[in-house]
Amino acid sequence: MAGISLKNISKVYSDGTVAVNDLSLEIENKEFIILVGPSGCGKSTTLRMIAGLEDISDGEMKIGERVVNNIAPKDRNIAMVFQSYALYPHMSVYKNMAFGLELRKVPKDEINRRVTEAAKILDIEHLLKRKPKALSGGQRQRVALGRAMVRSPDVFLLDEPLSNLDAKLRTAMRAEITKLHRRLETTFVYVTHDQTEAMTMADRIVVMKDGIVQQVDTPQNLYKHPVNKFVAGFIGSPAMNFVNCKSKIKGNNASVILADTEIPIENPELKEKLISIGESELVMGIRPEDLTVDMNYLKENPHSFIKACVEVAEPMGSETYLYADYFGARLVSRVYSETQFTVGEEVSLAVKNEKIHLFNRNTQLNILTL
Amino acid sequence: MKRRIFPTVISYTLLIIFCVVFVAPILIVFYNSFKSRFYISDSPFELPDAETFAGLENYFEGIQKIGFFSAFGWSLLITVLSVIAIVLFTSMTAWYIARSKSRFSSILYYAFIFSMIVPFQMVMFTLTKTANLLSLDNPLGLVFVYLGFGSGLSIFMFTGFIKSIPKEIEEAAMIDGCSPLQTFFKVVFPVLKPTSITVAILNAMWIWNDYLLPYLLIGSEYKTIPIAVQYLKGGYGSIDMGAMMAMLVLAIIPIILFYLFSQKYIIKGVVAGAVKG
Repeated sequence: MAGISLKNISKVYSDGTVAVNDLSLEIENKEFIILVGPSGCGKSTTLRMIAGLEDISDGEMKIGERVVNNIAPKDRNIAMVFQSYALYPHMSVYKNMAFGLELRKVPKDEINRRVTEAAKILDIEHLLKRKPKALSGGQRQRVALGRAMVRSPDVFLLDEPLSNLDAKLRTAMRAEITKLHRRLETTFVYVTHDQTEAMTMADRIVVMKDGIVQQVDTPQNLYKHPVNKFVAGFIGSPAMNFVNCKSKIKGNNASVILADTEIPIENPELKEKLISIGESELVMGIRPEDLTVDMNYLKENPHSFIKACVEVAEPMGSETYLYADYFGARLVSRVYSETQFTVGEEVSLAVKNEKIHLFNRNTQLNILTL
Repeated sequence: MKRRIFPTVISYTLLIIFCVVFVAPILIVFYNSFKSRFYISDSPFELPDAETFAGLENYFEGIQKIGFFSAFGWSLLITVLSVIAIVLFTSMTAWYIARSKSRFSSILYYAFIFSMIVPFQMVMFTLTKTANLLSLDNPLGLVFVYLGFGSGLSIFMFTGFIKSIPKEIEEAAMIDGCSPLQTFFKVVFPVLKPTSITVAILNAMWIWNDYLLPYLLIGSEYKTIPIAVQYLKGGYGSIDMGAMMAMLVLAIIPIILFYLFSQKYIIKGVVAGAVKG
């Protein structure tokens, strides 16, 4: 078991493409950290550099106390679970799991004990004699996890391990992996583009874009306090709504002016920041659950609303996603499923004032971080 | 329904005709090998009858005349060694070509592809001369020459298949603790089994039946079956047709058996790599 330290890590390919740019990150021992971001953001490259499958162009990487920049993958004591499972097709499940141990000359009895134990935990004991082609996607995934487990590695690396599974199985495996992490008490580094996986499983999330780390924080902090517009839009489903606005300062009061309305800012911290910055061009961000058709809230906060035109209502069962147009900006609101809407009708959407996020329109940074 | 049956009848008739045309020469050789040699040239298409049937006489005579067992031994040795060398070395080369993204590897690949379209007759004399200079004019040297000639198609087939194998399998092996050699022999090579068998069959058939290359390089000292059979053609145009037919039958039996034994892999290997599974 070990932590991982990445100091100013960069990856530049021979054609000049910068995949990862000056990444610094301290991963604690036994931590479950998830790298998340859109395709091409450098998350898989980072994971592959930790695994030793990609050379590091610049910077220093440590696993535990050991600098591993020039250490071969097999000597890093890591285990990796691949998106395509990467099971050896000509070997049985048992052999797949035992292979790494055989190469390390572990005694046969010990191999047998570890494989049987891992198979028991993963509930694949009855599959040990089968070849991978005779397994379902979920079973293959378990074997891939088992192959990693038996090695008792310092670090578990998982590269989008659930993306080849169907939605139901993915949810089930999500919980299994979280349980496995608790049981094994090992450092887990997990890569995904699915923010739901990141939010539900991670101790901390690293949000990446264009090879640069945008924010590293706990799921709740990322959700509540995104440092920039990208993180705010990436984390959360449906994504945060963004509307262009301008700030207006009048004495000790601050407000934001949207296309046809003015919303006073009541959050003291935000108000103070707005006053200190002065009037400027901003983007207002509001989460779908904070943009409601709640009449009680509207009555209590008569100035904090916007009128938008209903485009689509998507019933999800327990709730409905209401899509509405507000001067060209598409807004989505989470509302009770009982509420009925007609396409084209005008609705008053209450903006939960204390939940407003404001971003600088040029730098895209959350103004609270400035 | 009539409209559907008619084209089926035509296509089946054509297929049957083609089958007969292709199989007929082998059949003719086969039943002529049991006819007395005096009747073969006169009536080659007639089946043996009580008068013309010679039993296994032609076989005994042929085996004695050409030293069949010695020729069989040389053919077997050269074929087996060449096929092993081709499968082993071309699969490794193809692995390098498929996995290395360098300009050198693509030049190498196209050079091998180009070698497939160069006819043997074009390089025949220069090759013989070079082989003599390098002392490759012996059975073991011939194995090297076959390795060169067989590599084009084999590398082409292996490369296509290897490209369809997810690279993650090899990366998983590296993380599990394999060296590059272990990765190849413990993980990649076993996965290549269907293609290896296809490559082995195609090369075995060609090398076993090849006449010109062994004749040019080692023909005077070591006789493979095709060369030995040729010696049944005596001076002044006299040919012992009976013995020749019998030896031809014996010559094709091993390769037909080998083909029948492993034919299911040919199709598997040819289509493998064509589409990503």
